Amino acid sequence: MLASHHSSKMNKKRFTWENTVQFFKDYGWCYAFILVPVILFVLFTVYPLVMAFIYSFQKYSVLGSEWIGLDNYRSLMDSPVFWKAMKNTLIYTVATVPVNILITLFLALMIFPLNNKSQTFFKAAFYLPGVTSGITMSLIWLWIFDPTGAGLLNAVFDFLGLDSVMWLANPDTALFSLILMTYLGAHGAGILLYLAAMGGIPKSLYEAADIDSASWWSKLKNITWPLLKPTTLYLLVMGVIASFQVFEQAYVMTMGGPNLATTTVAYLIYEHAFLSFEFGLAAAESFVLGFIIIIISVIQFKFMSSDIEY
Amino acid sequence: MSEVRFVNVSKEFEDDNKGKFTAVNDATFTIEDKEFMVFVGPSGCGKTTSLRMIAGLERQTSGDIYIGDRTVNKAHPKDRDIAMVFQDYALYPHMTIRENMSFGLKNLKRPKEEIEKKVSEAAQILSLENLLDRKPRELSGGQRQRVAVGRAIVRNPKVFLFDEPLSNLDAKLRVQMRMELSELHKRLGATIVYVTHDQVEAMTLGTRIVVMNQGEIQQIDTPEELYKNPKNMFVAGFIGSPPMNFVRGRLDGNIVQTVEHALVVPEDKLLKYAEYQGKEVVLGIRPEDVINIEHLPDAPAQNVIEPVIKIVEHLGSEFLVYFGIGEETIVGKISSDYHMEVFKKHQLYINMEKMTLFDPQTQMRIG
Ligand SMILES: Nc1ncnc2c1ncn2[C@@H]1O[C@H](COP(=O)(O)OP(=O)(O)O)[C@@H](O)[C@H]1O
Ligand SMILES: [Mg+2]
Repeated sequence: MLASHHSSKMNKKRFTWENTVQFFKDYGWCYAFILVPVILFVLFTVYPLVMAFIYSFQKYSVLGSEWIGLDNYRSLMDSPVFWKAMKNTLIYTVATVPVNILITLFLALMIFPLNNKSQTFFKAAFYLPGVTSGITMSLIWLWIFDPTGAGLLNAVFDFLGLDSVMWLANPDTALFSLILMTYLGAHGAGILLYLAAMGGIPKSLYEAADIDSASWWSKLKNITWPLLKPTTLYLLVMGVIASFQVFEQAYVMTMGGPNLATTTVAYLIYEHAFLSFEFGLAAAESFVLGFIIIIISVIQFKFMSSDIEY
Repeated sequence: MSEVRFVNVSKEFEDDNKGKFTAVNDATFTIEDKEFMVFVGPSGCGKTTSLRMIAGLERQTSGDIYIGDRTVNKAHPKDRDIAMVFQDYALYPHMTIRENMSFGLKNLKRPKEEIEKKVSEAAQILSLENLLDRKPRELSGGQRQRVAVGRAIVRNPKVFLFDEPLSNLDAKLRVQMRMELSELHKRLGATIVYVTHDQVEAMTLGTRIVVMNQGEIQQIDTPEELYKNPKNMFVAGFIGSPPMNFVRGRLDGNIVQTVEHALVVPEDKLLKYAEYQGKEVVLGIRPEDVINIEHLPDAPAQNVIEPVIKIVEHLGSEFLVYFGIGEETIVGKISSDYHMEVFKKHQLYINMEKMTLFDPQTQMRIG
């Protein structure tokens, strides 16, 4: 009965009044339920995206934008500031993401063997910085990096008999300072993911490895690391995407300076859009950045993809 | 010399729910060199724990464990010269079969040629040559099982430990692998310790069998001895399929008096039952010692009962017939040459020559 009803509908695909009424009787509610999210998505994601894409071919002005074709993109390619920002972003990404993944993995490896109570404590402790706002964290780091002896880092240097360093004010150390922040920053989410993945590796594999004379290092290299690969890939892709868009730290701590030393692409976009109101240029930069992120993510998935199954 | 010896070995677990829990209690036994020793018992009786203590994956709470002529009480698994086949096989999922089998030797930093040679030897013994470059998930259950055995073989250990290796296979494959394991044992000439909950597997594979229950070793004997001379009611009820029947009764002179019948005890057995004269006993009768009198050349003068058959199960060459004595259900395994009908009375002979008596309090065999 049910089958015949469906098949008869399959056969009559013609667009008739009855068919339309029947369709809405069958599926109307489904569409009603997804209508609200779809409207929100179109309004706040699709529409700005399309508009930005249009702006990127225009010289923006409140009174009337002017079509200039690919000029925005061309001037980007010729702009040393954009390339400097690109280079900064790349250095920042390469120096932060892989190192942070290793730090996260190391912490997770240390926490995993502990009993339940200690595990919970460390999970919470490492997660806490993640729920603190980035601005607050940056303010604390401003104090740590304070160039006078009042700053924590310089106080330590002083204690060790080393000269004070102008951490954020020196073009040679400013970007490194921002990178250093991430090493001591939020590993909580990554730790949770790694711990969950470690818990999913059957214990008997390690027992088999024990009998197979595997050392701690051999087990880490040959069992844990390969079996954590999906998690590592996830952290890598997410880390790269986030780090290509790094803005907050550069904005709060250094305003992209000194001498463009910490100007990232995202910071440049902000400058062009909201300080000099060159929306067209900023939009073009956004699309270049987005394109690069997509390319890199695809490459990462291609090369790191794994097919593990217990 | 690769014997394995337990001396007063106990293992207690500290469990959050159950509190202190003794999984293995005061186990003492010797597994001889080149022996195929099977540990059998119901689930949770401590078989795996015993095996894991031999492997060094679990540290005994007290007692001494010897492998060969040295104690291994605190030795790491890798220093015990053992190999183990896990119940879930524990193959490394991301490695090929070749890598799985060579992992142990690689860790020992053996030369490449030696590793290659040993892996291909093992692969040949187990017919795995064509599968060496596959991953475990591309293999069937039986093939995975072979890989797990292969991984053990390449290391050429003194002692092989198997934890229910056939329990994940279907019945037909299980019978085939059982034979292969038996052959493998002869071929390798190694000591094998094998855990199973399946008494048929235990009886067919073991040169000797350790029967365990609730952490206690019940009996250690050859399959034949276990069957013929079970030490207690647990062993009698565990070994054999279907298991031994138990009927309560009273020993009076040369008679075991049950609620319904007076069964005559053979003359030659009376002496060892002397102490139990006039006392409650449990009579143990194997199903095959219940015989349809049609099958006997001469009609027996005694020990013939005539119960109403409640169920008849056909097994082809045999019937399993169920009937009651008092409140107890008795099962007989009877040749199907003569037809037997359910709900009818049949004359059955109880072969008291093969009887066993147990003490109802201690559950131990009498005599
Ligand atoms: N790590 C453990 N912690 C607590 N109890 C355990 C542990 N391992 C086994 N046990 C308990 O010990 C008993 C024997 O277990 P085991 O040796 O695995 O039995 P089996 O004979 O089925 O292999 C079981 O009751 C089990 O619950
Ligand atoms: Mg077990």
